Amino acid sequence: MAEFEPKILAFLCNWCAYRGADLAGTSRFHYPPNVRAIRLMCTGSLDPVYVLKALLDGADGVLIGGCHPGNCHYQDGNYKAMRRVEVLKNILRQVGIDEERVWLRWIDASEGGLFSETIKQMVDALRAKGPNLMRKPSQVWQETVGCKPEKEPKKERVK
Amino acid sequence: MKIDTVLTVEDGNTLGALRSFLGKLLTEGVVDYLLVPLEISHGRTLAQTLVKDPARLDRANPFSPVMPESGAAIVAQLTIDHPGKKLGAVLKPCEIRALVELVKLGQASLENVIIIGTDCLGTFEVEDYAKLIDEMKGAEKGAKVLADMRQGTKLPISLRPACKMCNAFTPFTSNITLELFGMKDGVFISLDDKLAKKLKLEAKEAPDRKKALDQLLESRNKTREQVFSEFRERTKTIVDFANCLDTCIMCYACSSACPLCYCRVCFFRTDTFEPESERYYRWADREGALRMPTEILLYHLTRLNHVAISCCGCGMCESACPRKLPLTTIFQTVGEGLQKALNYVPGRSVDEEIPLATIPEVKV
Repeated sequence: MAEFEPKILAFLCNWCAYRGADLAGTSRFHYPPNVRAIRLMCTGSLDPVYVLKALLDGADGVLIGGCHPGNCHYQDGNYKAMRRVEVLKNILRQVGIDEERVWLRWIDASEGGLFSETIKQMVDALRAKGPNLMRKPSQVWQETVGCKPEKEPKKERVK
Repeated sequence: MKIDTVLTVEDGNTLGALRSFLGKLLTEGVVDYLLVPLEISHGRTLAQTLVKDPARLDRANPFSPVMPESGAAIVAQLTIDHPGKKLGAVLKPCEIRALVELVKLGQASLENVIIIGTDCLGTFEVEDYAKLIDEMKGAEKGAKVLADMRQGTKLPISLRPACKMCNAFTPFTSNITLELFGMKDGVFISLDDKLAKKLKLEAKEAPDRKKALDQLLESRNKTREQVFSEFRERTKTIVDFANCLDTCIMCYACSSACPLCYCRVCFFRTDTFEPESERYYRWADREGALRMPTEILLYHLTRLNHVAISCCGCGMCESACPRKLPLTTIFQTVGEGLQKALNYVPGRSVDEEIPLATIPEVKV
């Protein structure tokens, strides 16, 4: 059976993590193609609702990538993100959603290597966890978590 | 310096004495306006009222047994643009806590505001209280209910769920406090000594309230623990948690009633999460079935993320809910867990910043 391929939604800040991802590309650093990136102006502008929506709709992991503390283009946006993620994770833990599916990482514009490493690590960690069972809004309400990963695993990826 | 004075009550008319005390605040110019619950609809309910003319206080009841709307939201509405009016606001402890949170969130101002806090005996659902009044005979029904609540006489209606588990029934912060716990009758007023002098009130030693307060605290904490542990037991997984919300109709009454949900337009009321209809069919194709409306769990989890850290336990959400979902329990259980983890007591002081603004650098 082919290996489970996690889907990762990445919210990347325009100034650091997104540029880091760009650099990873231009530097030809390889990383698994499991990540779908969304560019934000700042991680501080990310409302937790979008992370929650991704998780409830079946994303296997959510990566929030921003500037290192002290490097925020908007002074303290990344600190705000850090605080919100702290609150979000606490609430996820309390309501029974695996908080480890949410990663907050600082990746600089110059750290293409770190970006590709992060994605590799995250994919490995999520593979070990298995698929997120909350596949779609419909299924959370089932009496049992009858949320079979729909038609997964998909066809094996070409290396 | 704060001192205690006793409110002189004639012929057992506590409400009358309270009304004349509040009137004095207006006539002596301590405040220009008073926000205070007034009996309306022949005493069937009470509503926060902005009073200028002391004569209009004849139906006032600072110990209102109902709370149709959180006074915190009203004070926010009255102070957000710094009108420079001297406002006295008669508020319950939970309303004060919510107000303090709103001040920290930049949604209200305490500039020129005198908070007249009250000990809280708890409140009833508005519909229950109206029914109770309808079935009562005689005059001064409000006064009778107050007296019964103080004496602990069993009433045919019970407190709101939030009040049953409330463990903060005396104000954390207030300029003037109307105290009644630990006393069979009469009301003590705790206020600044200069203000007492202005109002020609003599200092008098207040009775020892500690025992009565501790007793109530203990029983409320017990109820709380019981409700919390029962809820935690019942909602170990996200599926069970979602099942608690299964009859939600997404009417947004909880967010309208919540004093802390201050956004003018909640993004759940916009089309942010409302895709073109085609998308729903696609989801149904893929899943075989799609529970409608689709974003119930997302809505409640988001509200938890936005307000749980500041949740003051007023229970306005649950009272407003047409389906009577256990929202107070959810928000208080998760809220307490979060507040404890971040070592924060919402509404305790305007000087304590909300953790969202203060968490020091943490290792991620």
